[in-house]
Amino acid sequence: MPTTQRTTLFEVTTKELAGLTDSRGERTRSMLSADYGIDVDSVRVILGYQVRAEISDTEASSLVYDLFADPVIEHGSWEYRLLEKFKHPPTVAIQVGYKPGVTDNSGQAGLDGLMTLFPALTSASVSTSRTYAFWGVPPEVSPEQLAVALYNPMIERSSVSGPSDCSKGHWPDLEFSERPSVEFQNPATVDLEVSDEDLIRISQDGLLALNLEEMRAIQSHYRDMSVRASRKKNGLTPNRPTDAELECLAQTWSEHCSHKIFASKIRHVDIQTGEESVIDSLFRTHIMQPTLDIQKEVDWLLSIFHDNSGVISWNDKWSVCIKAETHNSPSALDPFGGAITGIVGVNRDILGTGLGARPIANTDVFCFGPPDYSGSIPEGLFHPSRVFRGVHSGVRSGGNESGIPTVNGSIVFDERFIGKPLVFCGTIGIMPRRLPDGRESHIKTPQPGDVVYMVGGRVGSDGIHGATFSSLELTEESPSSAVQIGDPITQKKMLDMIIEARDAGLIQVITDNGAGGLSSSVGEMAELTGGADLDLSKVPLKQEGLSSWEILVSESQERMTVGVRPSDSEDFEALAELHEVEATAVGIFTDTGDFFVRYGEIPVAQLPISFLHDGCPQLSLDSEWIPPVHDPISTSELSPEGMGAVLQRLMSRPNIASKEWWVRSYDHEVIAQSVIKPFCGANSDAPSDAAVIAPIHGGTQGLVVSNGISPRYSDIDSYAMAAASVDEALRNAVCVGVDLDMIAGLDNFCWPDPVESEKTPDGRYKLAQLVRANRALDDVCRAYRLPCISGKDSMKNDATIGGEKISVPPTLLFSLLGNHIDVRKAVSSDFKNPGDLIFLIGQTHQELGASEISYMLRDEGVGGIGGEVPQIDTDRNMTSYRAISSAMKKGLIQSAHDCSDGGLAVALAESCFGSNSGAKVEISPIYSDSNGLDVWGALFGESLGRILVSVRPSERESFEAEMAGSTCHYLGQVSDDDPILVTMRGESVMISSMSTLRESWKGTLHGGGKV
Amino acid sequence: MRPRVAVLSGFGINCELETMAVFRMAGAEADRIHLNRLVRGEKKLSDYQIMAIPGGFSFGDHLGSGRLLGNRLRFGLREQVREFVTSGKPVIGICNGFQVLVKMGLLPGDEDVSLSQTASLALNDSGQYENRWTTLEFDHDSPCIWTSGMDRIRVPVRHGEGKFVTNDNSLMDKWAKSGQLVARYVDPSKQYPSASDEILPYPISPNQSWRNVAGVCDPTGLVFGIMPHPEANHSTWLGATWTREKKEQGEGEGMQIFHNAIKYVS
Repeated sequence: MPTTQRTTLFEVTTKELAGLTDSRGERTRSMLSADYGIDVDSVRVILGYQVRAEISDTEASSLVYDLFADPVIEHGSWEYRLLEKFKHPPTVAIQVGYKPGVTDNSGQAGLDGLMTLFPALTSASVSTSRTYAFWGVPPEVSPEQLAVALYNPMIERSSVSGPSDCSKGHWPDLEFSERPSVEFQNPATVDLEVSDEDLIRISQDGLLALNLEEMRAIQSHYRDMSVRASRKKNGLTPNRPTDAELECLAQTWSEHCSHKIFASKIRHVDIQTGEESVIDSLFRTHIMQPTLDIQKEVDWLLSIFHDNSGVISWNDKWSVCIKAETHNSPSALDPFGGAITGIVGVNRDILGTGLGARPIANTDVFCFGPPDYSGSIPEGLFHPSRVFRGVHSGVRSGGNESGIPTVNGSIVFDERFIGKPLVFCGTIGIMPRRLPDGRESHIKTPQPGDVVYMVGGRVGSDGIHGATFSSLELTEESPSSAVQIGDPITQKKMLDMIIEARDAGLIQVITDNGAGGLSSSVGEMAELTGGADLDLSKVPLKQEGLSSWEILVSESQERMTVGVRPSDSEDFEALAELHEVEATAVGIFTDTGDFFVRYGEIPVAQLPISFLHDGCPQLSLDSEWIPPVHDPISTSELSPEGMGAVLQRLMSRPNIASKEWWVRSYDHEVIAQSVIKPFCGANSDAPSDAAVIAPIHGGTQGLVVSNGISPRYSDIDSYAMAAASVDEALRNAVCVGVDLDMIAGLDNFCWPDPVESEKTPDGRYKLAQLVRANRALDDVCRAYRLPCISGKDSMKNDATIGGEKISVPPTLLFSLLGNHIDVRKAVSSDFKNPGDLIFLIGQTHQELGASEISYMLRDEGVGGIGGEVPQIDTDRNMTSYRAISSAMKKGLIQSAHDCSDGGLAVALAESCFGSNSGAKVEISPIYSDSNGLDVWGALFGESLGRILVSVRPSERESFEAEMAGSTCHYLGQVSDDDPILVTMRGESVMISSMSTLRESWKGTLHGGGKV
Repeated sequence: MRPRVAVLSGFGINCELETMAVFRMAGAEADRIHLNRLVRGEKKLSDYQIMAIPGGFSFGDHLGSGRLLGNRLRFGLREQVREFVTSGKPVIGICNGFQVLVKMGLLPGDEDVSLSQTASLALNDSGQYENRWTTLEFDHDSPCIWTSGMDRIRVPVRHGEGKFVTNDNSLMDKWAKSGQLVARYVDPSKQYPSASDEILPYPISPNQSWRNVAGVCDPTGLVFGIMPHPEANHSTWLGATWTREKKEQGEGEGMQIFHNAIKYVS
């Protein structure tokens, strides 16, 4: 039977069988209740697949159960709408589908499945939607309100049928989502011989994010006579940049790619001490230099700062690497897409390290507004609970579908993250020290003449201007083209293929296509050989008609750029074909000194490598430190039960509450290597301090992954904030038994704009905060011999919405990757046995400034957050950490848990959760640490360097002998009943119940609604 | 000679490395084989004694977990797979691999290896993907060669679609009678044997599978599929509560399954 191209809607829903629920509908119902307080009777979800293909009726009919619907548990249809078939028509029906051009992973999978059945349908396309049918919608809830909760207008469309439509059988009906056609623009040139005002206008209108000085540097480049002569010879307009050149420079020189603030010259003034100094690059002075100095003392730092991630030599056979990045702006606009793109993006940084490393673990840290926030949300922003759910879901999909375990993480809440959430995605990778061909895998070996391949996804109009966009603040006009949705399966296929190619010796050089797309990836690698010649007409496109500059800078996802010897091209392409991965030769590496770009025969760009990478003028900035003033914390004398109630409220604070409901849905065990998992204890619900993995199957050497983050200390002093972050990361690692002789760090700075301007009048103060944080990082990393091997900064975390500016608190996430000598000696945080002895290692001072309890009391209307913020004593801490490490090697420590948010009381409760028991402790010994300690400081203060441990009674003496030279207080015993009792010189000061505390701790962030 | 195991890879399968590792630990040779190498005839299943379909997210679980990979096998490798099974060689599908075997109709299967689907793995009742540890109990009367002699093991589940169901209750009775419902979630505090048909409370049954089924075999006992991950418990230090247990450190509880298969073909 002859057929023509037609569009057919296939629909699928869960069958009504006893013992089978429509889980998608049920999940939607509970989400509406948990996040929006909307209670409907029931929800059903119908999946829709619109297929545009040349298929006959018979073929369409066979597709229903051969492809789209499960014949056992689902109903499928193609000739009628499933909405017609419910016994009672729904009250409201809402169909949601993607906007044209947005990545539709289910649609792509559907197309692949269609081609399995009908390989001849090469021009078919599939677009998906979901239809939600509601029954029992409260009359005060409009269909539009429901729709708002279900779709994101930035990337999705909806079609709504209200009660009267539904009663008449008028169903929502989205049209096929067709990728919009784009109009090819001929390469244009831009006249830069204009006034300064016009230079600025060109930058602003083009979303270039370049300042006047940078625009002038570009202007003067095109005035250079030798540049003009060379351009003329190559057929380019001699005296003006092409649009592609300007875009390429803007990407390469963006704050996002070139870290201009960290490279700037800073005049720093400290009003408190009278210091006046000049810092020539924070990065070189405080991050790179300490690492270079440590490199002289250790033999395991293989590759630092210059590659996509830092690499250390783990043992003779394997090296490991780590990288973390943020994806804040995209996650604010589309939480799911932003986060999934973040996680699969950082995975590619690992794959692009050396000659290609395999990602083996993810670590994710998020900062959100409070999920229970009840204030008004500025127009254009999402409620924090929706951001939370979307980001979580994106990271879950990205990690789980890629087969990379999420081994560790943290979630921090503060109202200022409503403006911009911070979404840190980190990945650890592993690679053999040497490849079968003898090359060291961490060293790239490109040669002029190597073929440039683009591997993986195609280039589309999505993701244009991501790098420059994230270098600007977020406004209502932020472009939706900056938002993308990651495709983990395309990437997984590519990853499998790349690792095979690496082992076969086919890869000379590799990097990922992230910010700036091909302009950055090829531009960066061209620096290694001294040039490249790129032909944009060879680049496979998602849609025809893209202009040259768009192809050059598009950040379309799931792409790597690989250099391959011409003699290996055939093998490389065959491997790609086997894995069903697209690999296209798009240019060659050269040594001409130029990054040359053409579209077929038409020259598009000619940028000298030296100008591209070193031509950006250094910023000069001013910094001024004036310590802030806060109302002091206000505490009162309470009964023991009253203090118990305080602890109970503290346990339910989002920053402290259990995140189990969320974390359980991350695969944290794929690869079969997870020794210390996110949860431990008798019921596997007590929080672990750090992850331990043993990545070589059967091997007992391990890796430790931990994080430290404490943004609120910046409210008092960002020096203390950064010091606390590093200490927390190390403390967490010490708790599981890290090898202190091989620890490496990652610094991720997320700052509000620290450049003084009309929009940022307090820029000098924010820059001084940055200076102080860097100094702390320098001091503490040197003292702990903890070199930063890679890092990243994101410096524009402000949102101006409706005229109101919201800046995030200055935040340093410090991530740690360390060795573990023998994972069989790893220690978890849960108390093990009743009768075990409880000790507190480290000193407690009256340090309640910016503590979680201070914020709690302030939020309850009492006092401020002022007071001493925890100070660091690195020598004292390191002495304790070494002693603990030694005691653990001898098996003398049963449990170890870090004291951080909420202090000793919270740590004690959490260790009790893990053993299903209470404890009796006497806190008077810790009063000998300092003068001025009170019971609030003792129980809830967050002094650094403290670890709560438990020890078998029979091993007390040996343990105490190990701890000689460190502050080590005996506090009491693990009990076999429920109460947690705290006394001070025998007098009760706090009475609480483990099970009650656990209930409060677990109730707050239960994402499925009421427990 | 060491038995050879074909461990399938590609398209989002992601547990192939640990699956190869456990077979090697159990004494076999394990090769990672991209599905397309079989489809194109570059490799032959008949050169192997055991086939394993590891866990993962083949095709992102879009259109239902295991569905699209199942179709690739059902339409692209039909005869090779049938020949492998009918020649009496063991097959294991773990997690996504189990979903693939069910969707392509190899499990619970029938005597004729007709490759028609009779059961399914539906979305968990919790509505979401979960990673948590469970206790499994095995049926001593089952013909399953993979679990022979085993009582219980502790293993993690890591899935969003693991609720074993069918649309014909009489089939459940038939499979129960023939010992095909071989692995079930049980309450670890109860004594062996305690497998029951009544659905256990969440999260002891993490997905509310019918009759608490966690794994099934075909009528011959050679083809075995299981939602939880026995390969993830290859060493004691990977257990959920190992730091609380005073035990000699060594081989994990999941390994016996792989030893059994190697023993069977040796």
